[in-house]
Amino acid sequence: MGLSAWLTRYAAARPRPLVVTAPHATRLRLLAEAELARRGWRGARSPAGADLLVVCGTPAAALSRAVEVVWTDVPAPRTLVELRGDPRPELVTTALDGAVDRLADVRSQRLDAAGRAGARDGRHGPAQPYDEHDGEHDDGEHHAEHGRHGEQGGQEHHGGHGGQHDQHSEHGGHGRHGEQGGQEHHGGHGGQHDRHGGHGHHMGNPGGVPMAERGRDRDGLTLDRLHVPLGPVLSDWPAGLVVETVLQGDVIQQARVEVAGGLGTERFWDAPWLAALEGRRVTRGEAARRGAASRLDSVGRLLAVAGWGGAATEARRLRDRLLWERRDEGVPEEFAGFARRVRRSWLLHWMLRGLGTPGLSPGRSRPGRDGVAARLDAWLDETGRALNALDDGSPLDDDAGPRGPVGDRPSEALLSALPGLLTGTELAAARLVVAGLDPDLDQVRPAREASHA
Amino acid sequence: MGEATPLWAPIALLGALCALGLAAAVLDAVLSGLPTASHPGDAVESPLRSGPLSAAGDPFREAARLLVQQRRRTSLADTLLVRVGVCGLLVVAVLAGVVLPLGDRPVADLAAGVVWFNAMEVGAWGALWLTGWGANSVYPLVGGYRFLAQGMAYELPHMFALITAALGAGSLRVGDVVAAQRGLWFAVWMPVAFAVYLVSALAMAFWGPMRGPVGPDIAGGVRAELSGPDRLLFQAGRHLLLAVVAAAAVPLFLGGGAGPLLPPWLWTSLKTAAVLALLVWSGRGLPTVRMDRFMWLSWLVLIPAALAQLLVVAVVVG
Repeated sequence: MGLSAWLTRYAAARPRPLVVTAPHATRLRLLAEAELARRGWRGARSPAGADLLVVCGTPAAALSRAVEVVWTDVPAPRTLVELRGDPRPELVTTALDGAVDRLADVRSQRLDAAGRAGARDGRHGPAQPYDEHDGEHDDGEHHAEHGRHGEQGGQEHHGGHGGQHDQHSEHGGHGRHGEQGGQEHHGGHGGQHDRHGGHGHHMGNPGGVPMAERGRDRDGLTLDRLHVPLGPVLSDWPAGLVVETVLQGDVIQQARVEVAGGLGTERFWDAPWLAALEGRRVTRGEAARRGAASRLDSVGRLLAVAGWGGAATEARRLRDRLLWERRDEGVPEEFAGFARRVRRSWLLHWMLRGLGTPGLSPGRSRPGRDGVAARLDAWLDETGRALNALDDGSPLDDDAGPRGPVGDRPSEALLSALPGLLTGTELAAARLVVAGLDPDLDQVRPAREASHA
Repeated sequence: MGEATPLWAPIALLGALCALGLAAAVLDAVLSGLPTASHPGDAVESPLRSGPLSAAGDPFREAARLLVQQRRRTSLADTLLVRVGVCGLLVVAVLAGVVLPLGDRPVADLAAGVVWFNAMEVGAWGALWLTGWGANSVYPLVGGYRFLAQGMAYELPHMFALITAALGAGSLRVGDVVAAQRGLWFAVWMPVAFAVYLVSALAMAFWGPMRGPVGPDIAGGVRAELSGPDRLLFQAGRHLLLAVVAAAAVPLFLGGGAGPLLPPWLWTSLKTAAVLALLVWSGRGLPTVRMDRFMWLSWLVLIPAALAQLLVVAVVVG
């Protein structure tokens, strides 16, 4: 007892956070990422590897259900931090300090763990729990101790390999009616969070379809088809993006883009240009700073997905210095060195070559404007140019935001292009293609979310 | 094989492997803390900023966290397979290590030590696949697939590299390979084999540019569903595997314990630490290699190069 309590407290000083961001919460995500980097907390890759779930912004219905599922997948000791409202650095600092305290609170962590112990067998895979039919879980008719088989019909959410089929069961020994409340679902500390089991569908759904259906793959083999949503909770992934895929092995056979939205309207990366369009006075230097940070954010994400952790950290460090610390001396020089290293990496370019260029077979390279490698190059160029304009005090009078003309909402076009680019790629390549486009879902109009384009 | 192995030898082996594995974890944590930590202006208003030194404690805190963490299960997971896989990684790492001489002689001085080493480390294939398959979840399964593809790519060049060293010594006994390097390290006169060995060593320990099977892009891949003690054992096994493949480079290519002044065990440790540091650094300093591309490199470049090296060695020795 004494030993495990000591271990719990010792470990609490370095949590492994999993950050989930809702659309329109980019500012909060950036503040959180900067603070996490400052503390040296290394992010987790999956709910199982995390003990701290950080939710930035206010998720709308679909995303908040996904967050709930992920939360049930985080093993105790665990804690939840919800960052919303006034995005100040102090908000983040206080919230993370509180998380450490709660993780070190041995008594309530034990209560939480004991409360979940009964919910063991129904648990489901972590990774991608998004499912729009999941709402059925919230209707209050599932009582404790009812073994339960999933009941989503309609869509083909089945899967499983080798003829297994997944059974859900909803346990938990706690009535679940009480604490429903849509978005305002707090908890996670002090053992008061007690919904368990039965969510989570990334692998499949026993709802009457016991086995994965089969289909011919690109090599003419008949393989299982798995229906796997990528996102919305995935590290280094655009906030709110969901790509519903049909996988054979790790090759994407079909892809469909959906948006798991968030409440709010802020478009952080476009803000200076939008303000200028509204007639407010914004300097070119201010816009250049935002633009450079935006591209560095994209570069950092792409490098992280490419597995180059050191360089990704550098890009994000530069981004944070531009945005929050605003001490620019040395930044252009440091960026120049960074950009040189990235451009010179033959290994990186070998991996990116030929990706994201429609109509080209993978592996064939052709110098062009579109591919992922070309976009990375362009991001580096644009960042370099923007860094030279940080002190430009003249008023901003264009609408050329980091992803193109802000009025056109260029990310909507990126989302439309995505399924075509992803079909036929392997997961590893698909992740790089998404990171190479890096759509900003803050730009996407709500109408699009409804249409599930 | 004459005298009996002293009792302390297996204990020393275990201790050395654990120390090396831990050192790898600490170095990795420190490296990951570096780029954010060393900006002069920061210290002023950021007392919390963690330096590389505080990052050195991360592996210990992580171990503590996993020790007290709940073990979670996926639906319809094959728990037995996952356990076998998770523990298997540790077991194969230690078994592969028994033929490596720490000072003068290994724990088990087998006549076919090089083959034994190779056979044991291939057990990592099984361990990783079982872990990935057993979880009944997409990302671990994809991670498992990736490791099988990786195995197809690295194993043949790896075996040719090992055989080249054995051929140079005219013996499969690890001790004889060391003895054959009295004049000149194999790394010097068979550099291609050494380079191929290092690449395949990374692939075997799925580390650095070869981390695809546990890659960040598939939510941690094989280990995506592991938590608590399972995850701790898996991570420990991975680090031990890395330590073993680094340690094997020393008797096979770097002259074993040979060196001036210092005793053999110290030379072995120093050389191992150097190789290990290089491998660990590659984890931060290089992007991940995708297997669809590496397969091409492996079969069209690495295997022919390794074979050419083998031919050269055969001609020189013969």
